[in-house]
Amino acid sequence: MPSHAGTPAPDAVPDADSGLAGSPETGPLIEARDVTRVYRRPRTSLTRPGEAVHALNGVSLTVRRGERFGIVGESGSGKSTLLRLLCALDQPTSGVIRFDGQDLAGRSERRLRFLRRSLQIVFQDPMSSLDPRMRVRDLVAEPLVALGEPVGGRVADLLDEVGLPASAADRYPHQFSGGQRQRIAIARALAPRPKVLVADEPVSALDVSVRGQILNLLADLVDELGLTLVFVSHDLSVVRHVCETVAVMNGGEIVETGPVDDVWAAPRHPYTRTLLEAVPTLEDVL
Amino acid sequence: MLSVEGLSVSAESVRLVREVSFAIAPGERVGLIGESGSGKSLTALALMGLLPEGVTATGTARLREHDLLGVPEGRLKRLRGRDVSMVFQEPMTALNPLMRVGAQVAEVMTLHGEPAARARERAVELLDRVRLPRPGQIARAYPHQLSGGQRQRVMLAIALANEPDLLICDEPTTALDVTVQKQMLELIAEVAPALLFITHDLAVVASICERVLVMYGGRVVETGPIREVFARPRHRYTEGLLAASRLTPRGTRLPTIQGSVPPAGRFPDGCVFRNRCPQAGPACETEPTLTGDGHAFACWHPGA
Repeated sequence: MPSHAGTPAPDAVPDADSGLAGSPETGPLIEARDVTRVYRRPRTSLTRPGEAVHALNGVSLTVRRGERFGIVGESGSGKSTLLRLLCALDQPTSGVIRFDGQDLAGRSERRLRFLRRSLQIVFQDPMSSLDPRMRVRDLVAEPLVALGEPVGGRVADLLDEVGLPASAADRYPHQFSGGQRQRIAIARALAPRPKVLVADEPVSALDVSVRGQILNLLADLVDELGLTLVFVSHDLSVVRHVCETVAVMNGGEIVETGPVDDVWAAPRHPYTRTLLEAVPTLEDVL
Repeated sequence: MLSVEGLSVSAESVRLVREVSFAIAPGERVGLIGESGSGKSLTALALMGLLPEGVTATGTARLREHDLLGVPEGRLKRLRGRDVSMVFQEPMTALNPLMRVGAQVAEVMTLHGEPAARARERAVELLDRVRLPRPGQIARAYPHQLSGGQRQRVMLAIALANEPDLLICDEPTTALDVTVQKQMLELIAEVAPALLFITHDLAVVASICERVLVMYGGRVVETGPIREVFARPRHRYTEGLLAASRLTPRGTRLPTIQGSVPPAGRFPDGCVFRNRCPQAGPACETEPTLTGDGHAFACWHPGA
């Protein structure tokens, strides 16, 4: 297994190898090169090790600054594993992941602080991602507190930004509807002024009439704050509305990647075609 | 074959489903759509006699010559799983994790009087009928050894075991991947004797049903042949729901319905949708009735 640690991959940007040697404002923001993640199943025999599961197999991708990058795949495709690696919540078995030119491999949590500040996540189900015993004020301020930054009047500003009244700060998550809870989760993610917002199926648990509100809000925020968006979804039509670029995953690999309109109009990989054909649309019946 | 008249479901003083009436003919596939909190699942549970403690149903519902509402549990037990059966959203919670799936399919037949040996044989046939590969082997598996799609096929086999007159499916494909969903929908359409299909996904309902009931705030606000309702929605809620379901090109605003679905018991008087409706006026303080032949709607300011 080749180790890339310390040696830049041939196609990497020239000044991307050393830790703090100036983050190039023009280079890619997130870069994954030949990333593999192998899990071991728990052993079922005393004499043999547990079976190896290749969750990711040689995945490479590049997310440019300001890009809206979609990752599409079904359950078991590896999209969640990839997401965990991009957010440094897990380490790859081999391969390199760079954020803003800095290698994420083998860093301690303390040395990942720059990433925790620059990259924030919105999860699928705000009911399980928000602590039910914390008030909205504390939920939204928590990332700032964790980074040791002043909170000040930031909570009220953030709530306003996501379209919630200032009075929301004194309430608990269960007092809000699903869409409002997702707004709280977005406000919380935006608190440390990240460069990148990672949204993991952010609208999958929402009703149709609310889905549009949240997608519109995300689009507005990405525009206004100049964010880079990594948007993970099982639904290619949602990704097509939100993103410019898409990577289609299947069986732990990116089977197709490119501008989303091209992939949508002329899918090259058989799996992408299967996926597109399986999506039910209203137009089919009308 | 199934006729429901004035079905209402209440929990204490809160009315959760109001005056729902509809009929399903043999072989017909009817969709029941609405967002969470619209009362669609409660409607199905009422028909199955599976309402939770403290929730009661009134009105009438007849399946052929059998009454489904207000009859003692002993009578319902004989109907449930034989004349009417249901597939739920989450097969992992609906299946018994400690029992082999073949035995679970057989159980629903022995409960209704099939001899055990014959039921075991038929269980394998049924697993084959829902297109599970190597049904003999699958019958000996436990639910956790199967994929989500396979588990949902087992649920369907259980539902079909006694050849019911009516199959009720409550979001049967919501937890499945799209490619698996497509196969499952095709299978349901093929095997359902008569179908009441509950979903929040308009595109899914469009791909499987002929007729649709749109529920909001515990009421049916619009009903009719699916093509007609989707091509020319009259109720403003249906209109908004359809608009919100269509994803417009990137860079454009998605049409939305303002506000969110109120919690149970907090819907406005009069038209249930008037606090979110862009067309609402003084007339909407009076409750509109469902009017129209075939394509019916309950709205004072219907779309053209």
